[in-house]
Amino acid sequence: MPENLILKVRNLNVKLGGERVLENLGFDLREKEILIILGPNGAGKSVLLRTLLGLTSFNGEINWRKDIHVGYVPEEFTVSKNLPLSVKEFFNFKKADSLEISQSLEWIGMKASKKFLGKKLGTLSSGQLRRTLIAWALVDEPDVILLDEPMVGIDIHGRETIYDSLVKLWQKKNQSIILVSHEIGEVCKKADKILALNKRKLFYGLPTKVITPQNLAKIYGSSISL
Amino acid sequence: MDLQFLYSLIVAVFTGGLAGYLGSLMITKRMALVGDALGHVALPGVALALVLGFNPSWGALPALAIGIFLIWLFEIRTKLPMEALTGIVFTASVAIAFLFLPEEKISTALIGDISQIGFWDMLISIILCSIIFLVLRKIFSKMILISLSEDLARAEKVKVEKYNFLYLVCIAITVALGIKITGSLLMGALVITPAAAARNLSRNLYQYSYGALIIGIISCISGVLIFKILGLPTGPFVILTATLIFLISLIFKRK
Repeated sequence: MPENLILKVRNLNVKLGGERVLENLGFDLREKEILIILGPNGAGKSVLLRTLLGLTSFNGEINWRKDIHVGYVPEEFTVSKNLPLSVKEFFNFKKADSLEISQSLEWIGMKASKKFLGKKLGTLSSGQLRRTLIAWALVDEPDVILLDEPMVGIDIHGRETIYDSLVKLWQKKNQSIILVSHEIGEVCKKADKILALNKRKLFYGLPTKVITPQNLAKIYGSSISL
Repeated sequence: MDLQFLYSLIVAVFTGGLAGYLGSLMITKRMALVGDALGHVALPGVALALVLGFNPSWGALPALAIGIFLIWLFEIRTKLPMEALTGIVFTASVAIAFLFLPEEKISTALIGDISQIGFWDMLISIILCSIIFLVLRKIFSKMILISLSEDLARAEKVKVEKYNFLYLVCIAITVALGIKITGSLLMGALVITPAAAARNLSRNLYQYSYGALIIGIISCISGVLIFKILGLPTGPFVILTATLIFLISLIFKRK
């Protein structure tokens, strides 16, 4: 593998319950790269992330660089309201100390007050829970972060701060980001590469080259522009 | 103070604490009724121990091992839901036990008897309880993470199968130890009720798990004391104390 290559995927095929959900996918991820995976609902984006994490069986080739540390923010994450698990204890699962916790929460625009850390995880609003989950993925400074629709349930203003924080963080640290989204928007301008898929690859490349009305029509079925 | 009473008290403290602590995990994993079912699965072993005159806990262990193995085997063979298979195995266990359980031993098997405990029984109980407690403490946060999101746990490189297996072994040994105090019939409550009470009163995992441990200990001490002072059976009073604490916890339940 070339030195700055972190992930190499070739001829990736995934079947779920007899149905092919991913066909012949291939792409690369390099150090410090932001890769955005676009596609309509049901295109297999979440399956792709889960497959990259080794949570689903597959045919083909998925090669991570050796000893890579991957952080993951799943699309679905709910906590029962009456589970006595405080925010601080949730972070302690990763053996994070107070400084690391407050730092990672600040990265995504939250204050790590004593009151907040003592709150039950299940009583946070959906936006707060989302941010906390992202901070949790960041707290032990992974080399790569996989985010599955991280902005679900977060208002527009919140989205911008999260994107800004991710980009700022990305500029400081050397990590790579794979971000799954079903919508195009601000986020695509910040990407190094875009992979659009609907079971199979629709297009793949630099945003300035691949985000064209023709290509977007391939994803969404009608002509739109950014 | 007579030694027998002291031994009973020590075993009660260790076992009650362990069962409470384990219970906090079992409720979170939505496995509250598993303790109940396994209490019944252990019954043939308990019956055999009572017939042959040794500690029911040591009879319960092999019975539980066989029972759990059968449930696992049937699950692989039939793909029927686990709870249906558990239902089949535990009722069959009860039926088998009653084939040879002498009538005068029925109450001991079903609701426990902690009045006859030898030094070695006590020592082995203390050692087993301590080991299981340390294992549970070690796997506790991983088990909670698995119950929150198995995907997230696996992405964090948690070996889910290994932890689930360890956890199941801990449950089986705790049930075997608890049966000595509360019997097959009441064992389920020893893991559920203290933990449920603690859950009502706690804000975080630390308060929850150690609260359950303390309530488990209080319940077991109270049962042994009532037996000593009033001569009433231990098992039912252990559970009734825990239930009383649960009822009180409802008043103070945190919103």
